[in-house]
Amino acid sequence: MNKGEYWNPVLETLPQEKLRQLQLKKFQEIVTWAYDHSKFYHQLYADAGLEPGDIKTFDDIRKVPKMEKSMMRDVQGPGKDNFPYGDILCVPLEQVTDYRQTSGTTGQPVYQADTWQDWEYGTEAYCYALYAQGYRASDRIFLPFGYNIFIAFWAYHYAGEKLGCEVIPGGVLNTEARILKMQELRATAMGATPTYVLGMAETARKMGLNPPTDLCIRKITVAGEPGGSIPATRKRMEDAWGAKVYDQVGSTEIGHWGWECRQQAGLHVNEALYLIEIEDVNTGECIDRPGKRGKMVVTTFNRLAQPCIRFDVKDLIEWNPEPCACGRTFRLLLGGIKGRADDITKVKGVLLSPTAIEEVVRDIPQLSNEYLVVVTKKGDIDDITLKVELLPKFQKDEASVRSVLTDQLRVKTNLGYNIEFHPYESLPRSQAKSRRFQDQRPKLH
Amino acid sequence: MAQKYDIKAMTEKIRALRRDAEALKAVSGGIPTVDRNADRILADVRMLEINISDAAEILGK
Repeated sequence: MNKGEYWNPVLETLPQEKLRQLQLKKFQEIVTWAYDHSKFYHQLYADAGLEPGDIKTFDDIRKVPKMEKSMMRDVQGPGKDNFPYGDILCVPLEQVTDYRQTSGTTGQPVYQADTWQDWEYGTEAYCYALYAQGYRASDRIFLPFGYNIFIAFWAYHYAGEKLGCEVIPGGVLNTEARILKMQELRATAMGATPTYVLGMAETARKMGLNPPTDLCIRKITVAGEPGGSIPATRKRMEDAWGAKVYDQVGSTEIGHWGWECRQQAGLHVNEALYLIEIEDVNTGECIDRPGKRGKMVVTTFNRLAQPCIRFDVKDLIEWNPEPCACGRTFRLLLGGIKGRADDITKVKGVLLSPTAIEEVVRDIPQLSNEYLVVVTKKGDIDDITLKVELLPKFQKDEASVRSVLTDQLRVKTNLGYNIEFHPYESLPRSQAKSRRFQDQRPKLH
Repeated sequence: MAQKYDIKAMTEKIRALRRDAEALKAVSGGIPTVDRNADRILADVRMLEINISDAAEILGK
């Protein structure tokens, strides 16, 4: 790997022990900053009997209380200090230049404040990703997303500019118009959710276009859903576009902490800008070696307006034992985000991760890209239904596809399903994050 | 890899950039365009510090 592959060869090849030293120093700094500037963090740490000076070693990091989304919601909103951000805010309101909010998938949205420097930090983090994925100044990148209050692909836009790429904002255009504009301008790269990447290809084909030959897209960065790290979904996207597809992960509160490089060997954690800890879901024990999946706890080192310190994200991840052939020392995750701790649900007494179902569905070429899983309760017994669509040219294959689906789902999830075939294009389509798992069982209180 | 670069020299230049941008603000007389553009420069200087200067300490440069 030559040095031209790295956005920052100094940090991306820093030996692991040096990275740990850097992380400890940065962790101490952000905790001190938050303790001194935010009533929320000051109280959180004071209640735990902790002062920043108590963090002397890497192991001491685990003494610092975790925080989670619900805690942010509690201090934000009307009637609270520093409206709408609450007393988690560490800077005067007049220094805030950017507002974003979470999508509210799991409840009331969280309001996120950034200073211009914070915004630059998010952009910088995304530059690491795009550069590692081969984006260069010669790229003309197209953004088929609605520029709005969600963080989505904003940093992709700014990072593209920073790399010197030409950035085309495809904001309010509809899908057909976006495709035509990409064709007209010969865009070479784009960023979107996996659902939309697949949906756009479908639309292009209906328009009589074959994306691999009629468009020039050769790199796609996907985010917002786990599909980029699910091999079957990635293959569908790459085949549909004749392009390389790279996964990228982040969130409103954290920023852009992980990405795939050109090796496509898993998500690199940007360990110079973020601290990722993995905890056992049940015991809270630290998992610092490969081989065991756990819950991600993350700290963003240099985002100052609204710091994110030991944030309990509830995403499930696992360290990869293998280093990446790219030469970066940033560790890899095995298989991307494996789901969310609160998505992993028990059905018929079996732990089920919705991503396992996606792996099966997307691996069957006769099926369309869409599916829906509905869990209900019939009496005391859980009932799980998988709704799928056969592609028009495979309508006669229902029996054989049903058989493959039944077998594969049994193998991958240890569950039996009611399988329903729905007419092609009748299941809901989304341009943003899709919710393909519906748990309709009565909630226990 | 880091040994191939003159991190010490870069760190000194980055420090000088910060000093100059702050000095510019100090003599701006409150002209908004000077202050705000200097602030933007300082935000980028911070990115250089995060990328280079902060690592220099760890690397003993």
